[in-house]
Amino acid sequence: MRLVMLGLAALLSLMLLAACGGGDGDGQAGGGNAPESVLRDVIDRGVLHCGVKGSQPGFSYLEPDGTFTGFDVEFCKAIAAAVLEDADAVEYLSVASASRFELLAAQEIDVLIRTTTVTAERDAGRGVDFAPTTFYTGQSFAVHADSGIFSTADMDGITICVQSATTTEQNLDDLFAELGYSYVPLGGEDQENQDAFIAGRCDAWTGDQSNLASRISQLPNAADFRVINEIISKEPLAPGVLDYDNAWKDVITWVVYGLINAEELGVTQSNVAAWSEDPPNTAVARLLGVPFEGGEVADLGFDVDPQFIQRALRAVGNYGEIYERTVARVGIARAGTLNALYTEGGIIYAPPYR
Amino acid sequence: MAEQPPIPPPAAAAPPQPPRKVVLPPHRERAHRPWRVRAEEWVRRNLFASPGQTLLTFASLALVGLVIAGAVWFVFFQANWRVITVNRWLLFAGGFPLDEKWRLWLSVALVFPLIGAAYGMWASLGRRDLLFIALAGAFVFFLTAHGDAGPSSSVWFAASLALFFLGYRVCRFVPRETGRPRTLAVRTLAALLALALPLVLIVLMVGGGAQASQFGGFMLNLILAPVGIVGGLLLAVPLALGRASSLRAISWTCTAYIEVIRGAPLIGWLFVALFILEDVISSPLIVRTMIVLAVFTAAYVAEYIRGGLQSLPRGQGEAGHAVGLSHLQTLQVIVLPQALRVSIPPIVGQAIGLWKDTALISIILPLRELVGNSRAAIAQAEFIPDRIEVYAFAAVLFWIVAFMMSRISQRMERAQGVGER
Repeated sequence: MRLVMLGLAALLSLMLLAACGGGDGDGQAGGGNAPESVLRDVIDRGVLHCGVKGSQPGFSYLEPDGTFTGFDVEFCKAIAAAVLEDADAVEYLSVASASRFELLAAQEIDVLIRTTTVTAERDAGRGVDFAPTTFYTGQSFAVHADSGIFSTADMDGITICVQSATTTEQNLDDLFAELGYSYVPLGGEDQENQDAFIAGRCDAWTGDQSNLASRISQLPNAADFRVINEIISKEPLAPGVLDYDNAWKDVITWVVYGLINAEELGVTQSNVAAWSEDPPNTAVARLLGVPFEGGEVADLGFDVDPQFIQRALRAVGNYGEIYERTVARVGIARAGTLNALYTEGGIIYAPPYR
Repeated sequence: MAEQPPIPPPAAAAPPQPPRKVVLPPHRERAHRPWRVRAEEWVRRNLFASPGQTLLTFASLALVGLVIAGAVWFVFFQANWRVITVNRWLLFAGGFPLDEKWRLWLSVALVFPLIGAAYGMWASLGRRDLLFIALAGAFVFFLTAHGDAGPSSSVWFAASLALFFLGYRVCRFVPRETGRPRTLAVRTLAALLALALPLVLIVLMVGGGAQASQFGGFMLNLILAPVGIVGGLLLAVPLALGRASSLRAISWTCTAYIEVIRGAPLIGWLFVALFILEDVISSPLIVRTMIVLAVFTAAYVAEYIRGGLQSLPRGQGEAGHAVGLSHLQTLQVIVLPQALRVSIPPIVGQAIGLWKDTALISIILPLRELVGNSRAAIAQAEFIPDRIEVYAFAAVLFWIVAFMMSRISQRMERAQGVGER
């Protein structure tokens, strides 16, 4: 009797969950075989499923009230604003690195914006296509401020904290073999390495330069450490989408390029409304999808209306504004790095929007 | 200083009793000596019997002292508990719409009296239970009263606690001995308990509430684990019976199920929930996770129940048939109650195991349970150095629930007379 009751209750709750959860159009059983664009799915569903890391300072993490925030999250918002006209129409999924590409393949997420490095193997062999790089970083070293180490040339024979069994460790091995130097590795997870380094058990701590900089900047004694100005590997981080979906990839690609173009053209979150009414030149008018001095609106052939970049800009501002609002806050400076605009010595560069 | 309390008559005033000549066994004899002498003897015999033992005693004392001192130093002086008070909502329900907070509290207020009633029905609150409730309650009050939670959370929690004791009191009136009134009361309570989860889900979701994908934090662990445990138990009974069946097809199927499920780790099955189950049952990930947890638990519990079935003498079933009960009736009133009773301890062990396994979920699945949201909290720039605080807090939360489960199981075992009959 009791068992029957319990069973009924369990069934009831499952059905209830299925019914309520089904309301947001989560089911995609039919969409698997059709070569239909994810763009159409997203518009039909009314919600963008954005795969982020959810635990990386500056890039994606949760505020105390449970809202997602960070550099990667801003791009999710920009895409949602562009496609769905609502920057908040995003369901964020905290994706584990072990299953991120599989989640993309299973269409549990529409776009993966999770500090993912573009590599040939991922592009060719994993069924992933990459949008333009949003953030350039690379492997570097943190050292104690009072040490005499200023570049890899000063590192012969030192102890280095490195995450074991990673590409980080391979890069380090390759570099030291090339230099003909020796070093003592001290392996551990990211957090353990941080502790060991702070406690002085290793002379240097290696990892992504942006990650090192942001973690050190938050320490109470941040001034006791510094990150050297040398990068030993390339880590371009970019949004990923499913292979063979040009309509969707085009939109994401040009949302990213659009935000960069906006910075080059001086369009900001604060002037985008005014400039949409009265654009200062044709380039800005094209970018915002508005007519210039009584002319026609340029339709460039996207599967969304011509004002999609304007909406993204209204929601999150241009590339530089996103950078200042998120990663710059955790001590990842922009000036003088690869992430500066090409006009300022970096390599952030977007093809023309025309 | 108005009145002195009456001075009790001195003990010596009592007429001395002539010592009775009773020969006590040596261990009872000792009990007559003053406690100080006995303590001294105990210490000497158990802690300082030989130089080696003395050394060991001092070493252990030093170790224990060091650990306790370190823990106290960390908790009261070193730790930055702001990371917890600021992220209270994130850790408990992160992802759930903040405006709908009342739905969570209403659920708590619904469940608490039922737990209290269960306590009143099958056990009584001892001093240790009350101490535990007081400590856990103070802990929650500290959290709700701190920072910007506002008074409403404290009021909700106080009301829920009051309802807990109300449920307890009401069920204390139910007669202890088996009989019609008790059976009726037990059935009512069982039905209410069974309806609790659907009711909670209605409160949380219906009428502009949250979507399943917005469940997060500790609340998600608290929803997933019971579904896995109850669902697993329900699946396990037919599996255990099927495995013991004399029909080959049935027993082989059940055996295959049990062996296959037990043959792979939970993490593997969570991947199945993510990538394979989707093609079979198109449903939100949270539902697929619940299915996997239930299916996984069932394989283990079925084996415990089979053990219980096998521990019964054959005569039990035969006696049932002899008095004219059908096969089903024999199972229902004779075999299963006894088999399940014997299986309580390992089943509770499995339940506690599953409870802690819910911490694995966010490693594989994009569901943000407590551990996932803990990682998110320490990615906030301000709290990057405070990860030990967050993980220690998560551990305490897990412990509180696991400890409660273990206590309740002890009570149930005692009430059911496990190991006595």
